[in-house]
Amino acid sequence: MAQHVVTMLPGEGTGPEICEAVRLVIDASGVDIKWEYEEIGLGCLEQYGTLLPDKTIKNIAKNKVALKGPTTTPIGTGHKSANVTLRKVFDLFANVRPAKLIPVLKRPWDKIDIINFRENTEDSYAAIEHMVSDEVAQCLKVITWPGSYRIADFAFQWARANGRKKVYCVHKANIMKMTDGLFLEAFREAAKKYPEIEIGDVIVDNCCMQLVRNPAQFDCLVLPNLYGDILTDLCAGLVGGLGFAPGANIGDNCSIFEAVHGSAPKYAGMKKVNPSAVLVSGIMMLRWLKETAAADRIEKAMFAVLDERKHVTYDVGGTATTDEYAQAIVDKMHAGK
Amino acid sequence: MATTFSEAAKSTKKKKEIRLVGVDMYIITENGIPSFQDGEFGPFKCEFISNRGTKVWPGFVSPDLMMVNWYRCRFMATQDVQDSNVDAFLAALSKKGWWWSAVQKLWTHDGEAAYSKAY
Repeated sequence: MAQHVVTMLPGEGTGPEICEAVRLVIDASGVDIKWEYEEIGLGCLEQYGTLLPDKTIKNIAKNKVALKGPTTTPIGTGHKSANVTLRKVFDLFANVRPAKLIPVLKRPWDKIDIINFRENTEDSYAAIEHMVSDEVAQCLKVITWPGSYRIADFAFQWARANGRKKVYCVHKANIMKMTDGLFLEAFREAAKKYPEIEIGDVIVDNCCMQLVRNPAQFDCLVLPNLYGDILTDLCAGLVGGLGFAPGANIGDNCSIFEAVHGSAPKYAGMKKVNPSAVLVSGIMMLRWLKETAAADRIEKAMFAVLDERKHVTYDVGGTATTDEYAQAIVDKMHAGK
Repeated sequence: MATTFSEAAKSTKKKKEIRLVGVDMYIITENGIPSFQDGEFGPFKCEFISNRGTKVWPGFVSPDLMMVNWYRCRFMATQDVQDSNVDAFLAALSKKGWWWSAVQKLWTHDGEAAYSKAY
């Protein structure tokens, strides 16, 4: 019997070919995973009338961990986004977005190694909007004590488990004294359980400026939903874009690991796209499953293949297909044994 | 005569037909998801209840969902209503012991909903 059972959601566009390449690499790492494939996205609409069928939800609920390829949310059709629905159904409150320098992507910094913990369920994303007069629109920014405390607690626990030293809260509490003030207060309360970790706070606009001037100063950041949405992409840009940006959406009972880039439908079937973002998300998943040795093995092999530049995809200056890049990582892992 | 940016902006406002169609009630309770009977509040019928933006009634509620003690309860009018109907509705709601933090009237603008739906 497999040690882990993981739901695989290939998604759409280039998702299926990316996920097959990622599965090839993960399976070759020595980890024992049984993959259960489920559908998500536009392809489900005709058969199920929804982007996220019930049987997919039930499978994720059973396995409690999923690896997801990119999906597309149709605009203006009235269908709920599969990603948002997943977050709501499983209350995936922690969006974890690491930003780490990839050696092959030459950047003007010596070091970036930041983990962003974005609160994923509250803030102005609660979808409470009204026209309060015929010339004024209002959106409620909902920040709650339990919602703020648990993301901070989660971040501190992650930091402790992974040897991280500093956790900073990003906010605008100087202006939004109630909402961001509550977020900051809950952060400070949660911090009391982790005395060995250095804490601090930084105002969001200053944080953006500091990130582009001297990103090495930051370790872990805890952010409300909206600032997190923006700053996680800013951090991805600092390390070279979304092509290598992993993500995880984690709740009390369930975790979904996914790349944050789109499904690139115009490249679907061409097997030319870089699967690294889903692969790095898979590495995060392996660490979450305590398969640290397998995760390290894949990461080391991936960096080696990227450094050699012989079997890399077009976006990093090569001509390799998605499969050739994945196979090169597998070969590198085998050579390293 | 010179026109200021503010004056120019104000002059672009389009006239819309505004109609009252319901209310969002923000109710505070420690007793779980509020429950209302159809007809309990005259022309206002509860359409959905959400917590932190997620719909918690009617239909499926995820066992994973963390809720707080503050519920948005959307009551839609089942007939033409005026502001006086809202006054009566609020009085009836308070009389039944519901503690609420705020109320937001829901209007249509030229027939289009001028409010968001719950996820």
